[in-house]
Amino acid sequence: MTVNVLILCAAGMLVSALLMVGQKALFTAIRLYGAQSLLLAVVAATIAISEGRHELYVTAGLTMALKGILIPWFLMRTVDRIGIHREIEPFLNVPASLLICLGLTVIGYRVSTGFQEGSRGVSHHLIGVALSILLIGLFLMVTRRKAITQILALLTVENAVFLVAVGVTTGMPLIVELGISFDVIVAVLILGILVHRIVDRFESMDVSRLSNLKG
Amino acid sequence: MDTLLAFAAALLQAGVMLAVAPLLKTAIKKMKARLQNRKGPPILQGYYDLLKLLRKEPLRSETASWIYVAGPRVYFAAAVAATTLVPVLYAAAPLEAAGGILLLVGTLALGRFALATAALDTGSPFGGMGASRDMTIAALAEPALMLGLFASALAAGSLSLGVMVRGLLHQGLSFHPSDLLAFAGLFIIVITETGRIPVDNPATHLELTMIHEAMVLEYAGPDLALVEWASALKELLYLTLLVDLFLPAGMATSIAPVALLVGLLAWAGKIFVLAIFVTVAESTNAKLRLFRVPELVSVSLGLAFLALAIRFL
Repeated sequence: MTVNVLILCAAGMLVSALLMVGQKALFTAIRLYGAQSLLLAVVAATIAISEGRHELYVTAGLTMALKGILIPWFLMRTVDRIGIHREIEPFLNVPASLLICLGLTVIGYRVSTGFQEGSRGVSHHLIGVALSILLIGLFLMVTRRKAITQILALLTVENAVFLVAVGVTTGMPLIVELGISFDVIVAVLILGILVHRIVDRFESMDVSRLSNLKG
Repeated sequence: MDTLLAFAAALLQAGVMLAVAPLLKTAIKKMKARLQNRKGPPILQGYYDLLKLLRKEPLRSETASWIYVAGPRVYFAAAVAATTLVPVLYAAAPLEAAGGILLLVGTLALGRFALATAALDTGSPFGGMGASRDMTIAALAEPALMLGLFASALAAGSLSLGVMVRGLLHQGLSFHPSDLLAFAGLFIIVITETGRIPVDNPATHLELTMIHEAMVLEYAGPDLALVEWASALKELLYLTLLVDLFLPAGMATSIAPVALLVGLLAWAGKIFVLAIFVTVAESTNAKLRLFRVPELVSVSLGLAFLALAIRFL
């Protein structure tokens, strides 16, 4: 039962990452990120129950509250205030990005067998999915123009790292986890402000315009 | 004797599916209306519509040839034939010996081909436009459907739907990441193939957006009834396929009346839950621009491909 829940949640995270690639509407992308974080919280809670690791309840709660609800809400508010709802032109069109992400997923899955824990069983799938999401996140970061989608990509990468930390290792000390959560919040807040500044200055969220600043 | 029995079972199953199909269509309409704070049509409206259309005299354009007349009939026959290839209540398809998923996809493609050619036949611009749009999308959706089905076939080691279902029933609840990827891919395909909202709007006759409706715009009376009925049947068939491939639990493995009754209830319950999913997807999404539809379908193609690839990694 535990295994099934873990595998389904991990696969769900991968599906949400791939849907994010095929997505141009900012609101939907933010909702997908929220769903992905909630699935991550379910993973943490499942492991907490099955292995009796009580500190993971805190992780699950934090993940759900911060990444599942607070950050998506904050990002949506930012998008609402700016009034730009669409990723107009990514550097690559959707089918091409999708093809590359398929390749990245295959690579991520293949590489996961190189780890000692990653050769079989649930941890194979958890590491495989996490590496795939990590690569997809990095890819999104370099191919999207909008500052908000880049933030989302960064957060996706962070989710992937968290999935490995929670699902495969014996876990991080609570203080480190709290630190990371705090870091993520601060990063999103600062990036949110940065987005406002970019929009103020250029009347667009397109970060490629920042290169105009070079003398 | 066995062949006779198989044909009897096939007739019975096709009859049940045909009888239920209009109900599913109305149920989705009704749930959608409730979500929008409307009352919605009475639950039997699907049947009333079909009866009304069947009673009318067939009106056909003077320029139409036999292709136009044959189109809805082949479409209907193909849909009915396809239902006999899928396990519904009992963990074997009535005509399992005839073929597996390849025949199923082929039969559905035959129906689509018949309808698209018939739409071109009268030479009306709407028919041609609808047919060309439908084919554009089908060219992407069909490979995705095949890949998604292959992912399940690979796990079962057989192309026969009956063997896949029995394998899943035997192994009990155990999932592979590929299952969810294939499910997500196939769900998008189901929405595409049944002309639901992000792709097509079943409730509109606005020339800029319609796809399926444009194809069948010329039809009236009993011809239209056949098309509508077959479309409803196809929708039920696709949902049944999803149920079969990913959660066949509860399906009857013997023909004892109790087991069949449990199978019927489980099937109806699961179809209803999927119908809720479809309704929510239809109510929360806006219709995509036509040029964005291939992007959506290519996402499902990607998901289905990954579902297949991950099995090997």
